[in-house]
Amino acid sequence: MKLSSHKVGRDTRLELPMASMIDVVFLLLIFFMTTSAFVKTERELDSGIRVQREAGNRPSDFEPTIIDVVPSDGGYVYRLGGRELRSQAELERVLRGLENQADGAFVRVSDAVPFDVAAAAIQACRTARFLQVSYVPLDATP
Amino acid sequence: MRLSKRRRVTSIGMNMTPMIDVVFQLLIFFMTVSQVSEVNRERLELPRQPGAEDQRPAVLTINVNQRGELIIGGIVYELSELVALVADELVRLGDDPSRLTVVLRADRRVSSEFVNRTVAALAQLDIRKVRIPVQVPD
Repeated sequence: MKLSSHKVGRDTRLELPMASMIDVVFLLLIFFMTTSAFVKTERELDSGIRVQREAGNRPSDFEPTIIDVVPSDGGYVYRLGGRELRSQAELERVLRGLENQADGAFVRVSDAVPFDVAAAAIQACRTARFLQVSYVPLDATP
Repeated sequence: MRLSKRRRVTSIGMNMTPMIDVVFQLLIFFMTVSQVSEVNRERLELPRQPGAEDQRPAVLTINVNQRGELIIGGIVYELSELVALVADELVRLGDDPSRLTVVLRADRRVSSEFVNRTVAALAQLDIRKVRIPVQVPD
């Protein structure tokens, strides 16, 4: 006797509870969006900046370019040889015209200038392909 | 007679709970690690320049804020204290200044006087290389 038709109803349901997954994904998304807005990209101006107090007094076969960063007329100038340059772009242009990039450059910085101006001078040297750029505290130079 | 209707429900469920647990653990881990690595970096306005090289890890990060204060790991140091700290670090590194990577993070608005003093003090300890980070303009 067949009591039932024995019809097995096989319900194969694939359940993927996505709600929690979406919660996590949104949380991560918001986290990274928020933090990335605050992180500012930093690079290094130069990994080979040397600290030399005796920049001008050492006997040497090569003649490095010397740039003085000093205050002038209420502003700041870059002195290179006999020239006074008023902007980073101008300094960079003059430095590009020189041919002793392999000899390196000394950036001598006066106490009276903001660090931003000194950093601009170092950047100009690096952009003009000077191989070695040395930071020299001007007022400490004998 | 039909006594019961045997219905076999095969439900393939994916248990998401451990997944969420792991994701949260990772999130908390990375948040903590990133905060630890940032502790040496003060919030400064660095010079806005394109820079020359990508940043590399440093042994010692000296921050010079707008007021000229020297900050290492969130603690403000006097110059003499900084010199003592660097000297101790040098001893730890076998008195080899080339092994001590110094990063000088200076605020763009600070007077170069404070940077010069720091640089001169480092030079006294025979440290001849200082790396200067800049902020890449947007």
